[in-house]
Amino acid sequence: MALINVAKREIQCKIVYYGTGFCGKTTNLQYIHSHAPQPARGDLLSIATESERTLFFDFLPLDLGQVHGFRVRFALYTVPGQVLYERTRVAVLNGVDGIVFVADSSPDKLEENFQNLLELEMNMRRMGRDLGSFPFIMQWNKRDLPDAVPTQTLERYLNRRRAPSFNASALTGEGVFPTLRAICKGVMGSL
Amino acid sequence: MEQLTNLVVSEGELSNIARVLGRLALDTGASYTILLDKSGQLIASHGQGHRDLTALGALMAGAFSSSRQVAEILGEQDFRSILQQGVQESILSTLVGNQWLLVVVFEQQTHVGLVKVLARKSSDELERILDRVRHGGVQARQQVVDVQFRADVANTIDSLFQD
Repeated sequence: MALINVAKREIQCKIVYYGTGFCGKTTNLQYIHSHAPQPARGDLLSIATESERTLFFDFLPLDLGQVHGFRVRFALYTVPGQVLYERTRVAVLNGVDGIVFVADSSPDKLEENFQNLLELEMNMRRMGRDLGSFPFIMQWNKRDLPDAVPTQTLERYLNRRRAPSFNASALTGEGVFPTLRAICKGVMGSL
Repeated sequence: MEQLTNLVVSEGELSNIARVLGRLALDTGASYTILLDKSGQLIASHGQGHRDLTALGALMAGAFSSSRQVAEILGEQDFRSILQQGVQESILSTLVGNQWLLVVVFEQQTHVGLVKVLARKSSDELERILDRVRHGGVQARQQVVDVQFRADVANTIDSLFQD
């Protein structure tokens, strides 16, 4: 839920990076945190287990500074990807304004991506939202893998809605900022 | 459950909220009283110090959302409040309506029962204010977020987040 605080002259929006375990959601946020300009980025907060997998969420606040006298802020979250944590994903989706679905391009992850996307659609429906009329971006991550599934295949199986999509390799940063720019603009467009 | 798409808080209503938070802090001796929406965004706060309220808000909202899932497993509709007890300070989080969260950070010598009772009273007051806020924001939003504003935010996004 976007918060427009006229009195404090502040606008806050929430963006969630969704996807399967090890698909690169946290890597996206880590790259943004280490490469976004200093005044715009806040501290990256991670609730992870000892094996460094996200247990609850990662959180990165971004501050765009003043636009027309309003301070515009985006809060980026990731969900834990493992199947086990579905309830936690529902919790993190609460009040979301825009979603990036990070799809793992590994051939053996195609089915898992598909199931995860179905789960996201169902969770959004439960909240009375339809992904078709919601700021929603697809990111085809791990394009650097030698056996990456062709993007046409990913588009056909995972992007029936024809949401804007971006190729990425979050480890090297390729595609991370184009994805971020697209979702931020999508969220602002829907305010 | 249907969720709000956005919330526009006017100057007048923010001062009403601030008054409730200030009085609750005074009556309970709390170091902080904070109003969040359930997505973790800070609507208003009262208190002094240098704590990272943005991170605190995200974590408290996360903890509360998580507890709601626990409630569901137990067959409860939800938990209306959560108490986290520390050695020096404790935190009581209470639902305000179904969309918001009132967080009170208080010291150990303050009686928990007092905080609970007063927080519930403040929660009722805040719910009335927020009900007005949620029904009165369309015009205010249109005044702030127009075509030019969106275009200028898009330009800012392009210039800040470059490859």
